[in-house]
Amino acid sequence: MRNHAMASRVLGGHHAHRRLTAGRVWHDVSGHLFDRFLLLPIGAGIALVWANTRPESYFTFAQKLAFPVNEIGMAFFFALITQEIVEAVMPGGALHSWRRWGLPIVAAAGGLAGSVSVYLVYVNVNYVTVLAPAWPIACAIDVAAAYYVLKTILPRSGALPFALVAGIVTDIVGVLVVAPRHLVLATHAAGAALMMVALALAGVMRASGVRSFWAYLSICGTVSWFAFYWVGLHPAFALVPIVPFLRHEPRRLDLFADPPDDDATHHFEHEWNALVQGILFLFGLVNAGVILRGYDAGTWAVLAAALVGRPVGMLAAIGIAVAAGLHLPRRLGWRELVVIALAMSSGFTFALFFATGVLATGPAQAEIKIGALATSVGALLAIGAARLLRIGSVR
Amino acid sequence: MRRVFITVLLWIVVAGRVEPLPQTTPLPVQTGSVKFAVIGDSGTGDRAQYEVGRQMESAHTRFPFELVIMLGDNMYGRQSPQDFVTKFEQPYKPLISAGVVFYASLGNHDNPSNRLYEGFHMGGERYYTFARRSVRFFVLDSNQMDPKQLDWVDGALKQSQDAWKICYFHHPIYSDGGRHGSDVQLRVVLEPLFVKYGVNVVFAGHDHVYERIKPQKGVAYFVAGSAGELRKGDIRPTAATAAYFDDDQAFMLVEIAGDDLFFEAVSRTGRAVDSGVIRRQPTPRSTGGL
Repeated sequence: MRNHAMASRVLGGHHAHRRLTAGRVWHDVSGHLFDRFLLLPIGAGIALVWANTRPESYFTFAQKLAFPVNEIGMAFFFALITQEIVEAVMPGGALHSWRRWGLPIVAAAGGLAGSVSVYLVYVNVNYVTVLAPAWPIACAIDVAAAYYVLKTILPRSGALPFALVAGIVTDIVGVLVVAPRHLVLATHAAGAALMMVALALAGVMRASGVRSFWAYLSICGTVSWFAFYWVGLHPAFALVPIVPFLRHEPRRLDLFADPPDDDATHHFEHEWNALVQGILFLFGLVNAGVILRGYDAGTWAVLAAALVGRPVGMLAAIGIAVAAGLHLPRRLGWRELVVIALAMSSGFTFALFFATGVLATGPAQAEIKIGALATSVGALLAIGAARLLRIGSVR
Repeated sequence: MRRVFITVLLWIVVAGRVEPLPQTTPLPVQTGSVKFAVIGDSGTGDRAQYEVGRQMESAHTRFPFELVIMLGDNMYGRQSPQDFVTKFEQPYKPLISAGVVFYASLGNHDNPSNRLYEGFHMGGERYYTFARRSVRFFVLDSNQMDPKQLDWVDGALKQSQDAWKICYFHHPIYSDGGRHGSDVQLRVVLEPLFVKYGVNVVFAGHDHVYERIKPQKGVAYFVAGSAGELRKGDIRPTAATAAYFDDDQAFMLVEIAGDDLFFEAVSRTGRAVDSGVIRRQPTPRSTGGL
């Protein structure tokens, strides 16, 4: 509002001020896009329109960019997520206390069991077992989406750390399932040896006081990428073992917010965040383009797993845990937990990534992707449930 | 006399309402030619599939095809051993008994393990190739076009010196079916290979209709996904549509003799609904539509 008023005031003034204002407006708009991870849905929206109007040119474009974006670029995204997690669980971090992990882990386990069961039951009951190998997609939670939805609805409750832990644990399970792929080299030994070299290099650089992220990235990251690729692991996770060697500061709040650009560490995180936002835009552009009439059983299976299986599984598991003696977090009742469970039903980014990881190009992948995109409706369900249950800030 | 007149009149009226008998085939039925039938989306196990099976049996007496290519969704619903009997072995029993060999591709409703079923002659593979005289067939699994399969297709097509190269798989890369239509993502990866290595004809199913597409970049495309399932009135004709039939179930008969491929689409009632001939183009081709 303040920015808007400032923009109006300057726009009414001199040309010199107008240029300043245009820059200012762009800065504010881009800042909003970056802070809210909105470049990804924008990329996805463009891809959807493009694929459904000029499919041949879209798929030709997407095919060319799939490898650099999904296999190389996304390594930066998972590195950033790892960085966020490492800083959150450090002493002084938002998720440091292990007492906060008990019930969310139970919820994650319940959500996993519920979503995977519903997915597999759906594909088996409908006799589309060709889709069964895609069950890891049911493990995908878009943590950033859940975070922002809950930050809007329940900003001052214990919902955020609860959802973060449950979401991260769920996604880690998915990553562990999706990561193994076909062995590229004849043996695991060469890739494993290369991985050891990457870790040793990172250790030496850390001990030598190297602070530049880009040094870690260009040397250790490159070696690690080839190690992952050759050993048959998804190379998008290649920076995950390198990130713990970087310099960290504990994060107390606003896990996904771009840090202030006030010192060397934060400057690098700022740059990193900008890079990841660009990559996520490309990720959405390359992967979210599906022809909408390609929906089929896989679409409904993913939707049922995310919107029904996961929330029901989470709430059931929490119910059992509470009956067994665990306590609900302070300021969180069952109504809040219903909203949290629905907010975590969106798979979007992770579901799209897992879809490209477990299924090759083809109609099966396409129908699954439509389901992954459609799980975004979980955010609306969460907001609707909050209004219905009269909780939070959207009453 | 009056009774005879009325009987004759009744006979004429009734005969006029009966479906026409199978037409004389335009297929040349030459000795030594490669003859085969095409069925797609067949495995419903319902009456329509059995009726198509009977028409195929009838066609086999005048057109002794030696093999049947199956375009996927060879089995809908439950896929227990008993289903292989009711949805495959019984509908085509006379053909199987006559030594006709079925070569299947996998559709989205097929259990991937069906590749192990002996009656489908897939050799346990998702994708494979086989030949009959001057014709080589390339059978793909279009559910997932993974890099390994693409490498295989590239290598197999490159290696083939056969006069005719025919590809078939489940999902059509050209189709005017209203429910599914063309799978453009598959087209982007497969069509360049078809053009580069001179594939002559491509058969696919998935859309539950019969359609012949005008040749695209020198390759002829057919959709024949109505040998069991049917989506009545589903075709949305475009400039690429050469012919279509979406009123009833159908299958195809094909004969390759020398440089000519003769085809006929036959309805569940035995009516020829489309026919024609495709002349083999010199191979390998460069790009450019016909």
